[in-house]
Amino acid sequence: MADKSKQGKEYPPIIWEVERGKIRELAKAIGDPNPIYQDRDAAILEGYKDTPAPPTFLTVPMMWSSSMPMVINDLKINFANVLHGEEEYEYYKLIYPGDVLTGIPKVVSIEEKTSKSGRKMDMVTVEILYTDQNGEKVAKARSLLIERK
Amino acid sequence: MAHEVYYEDINVGDEMPELVKGPLQKLQHVMYAGASGDFNPLHTDDDFAKAVGLDGVIAHGMLIMGFVGQAITQWIPRKYLKKFGVRFAGMTKPGNTITVKGNVVDKLVEGSENIIRCEVLAQDENGDIKVTGHFEAALPLKG
Repeated sequence: MADKSKQGKEYPPIIWEVERGKIRELAKAIGDPNPIYQDRDAAILEGYKDTPAPPTFLTVPMMWSSSMPMVINDLKINFANVLHGEEEYEYYKLIYPGDVLTGIPKVVSIEEKTSKSGRKMDMVTVEILYTDQNGEKVAKARSLLIERK
Repeated sequence: MAHEVYYEDINVGDEMPELVKGPLQKLQHVMYAGASGDFNPLHTDDDFAKAVGLDGVIAHGMLIMGFVGQAITQWIPRKYLKKFGVRFAGMTKPGNTITVKGNVVDKLVEGSENIIRCEVLAQDENGDIKVTGHFEAALPLKG
């Protein structure tokens, strides 16, 4: 079960340089043909300064940095029993190629709940606040992990 | 001419244009694993998935959220999106065809921002819900 003493704990920052190719690759993997994610000129015509990151792009620094597995290990959660329950983003600035993001993961809460079938679960909420190379807030990602016990 | 959406043109009850994705193929799980960095073998290795009691691989939840993001930003420009969240409600398997729908549930002025709030969902060809969610966007005024 999740280690409740870790509530409020912050983890080492994720440092992530945003590449144009990674933005395009994520859009292609989703099968999103919107030209703003793949073509700089098309993006500029639509009022962007370059190809912006798609709405779910922040999963890339989280997963490629292995940050989330590290948090899960540190909380002593059994990987095999974890479900991704919810994901939410708040966007403060667009993310563009060349941006260098710094994300600080934080365990904001760990709550025990009982499912309708009577099974106990720990609901673990992890937030990652991302800032850019100018120290400006870019986005906040909130993940709800459900550990079935 | 840029694709533009104005606050005045959106009303509570308006429907987001539907997006249909699929039938989904395992190959897309492999592409999404590589793009996202989520290499959980539950999404790419049938033997692994069967060993944990499934029929076979399931799609990444974040891929389905990506479909919802595609549906939103083909309607409301990416630059206006302020908030986007989902709850993962069911597993998606190869062969499923996913339809993303949404509708406007609220419109309000907050400070200098003109906000629309929408609910979204993704379901398969049987009507089984995969994802429910919501988003908020701050739209420009016509004048």
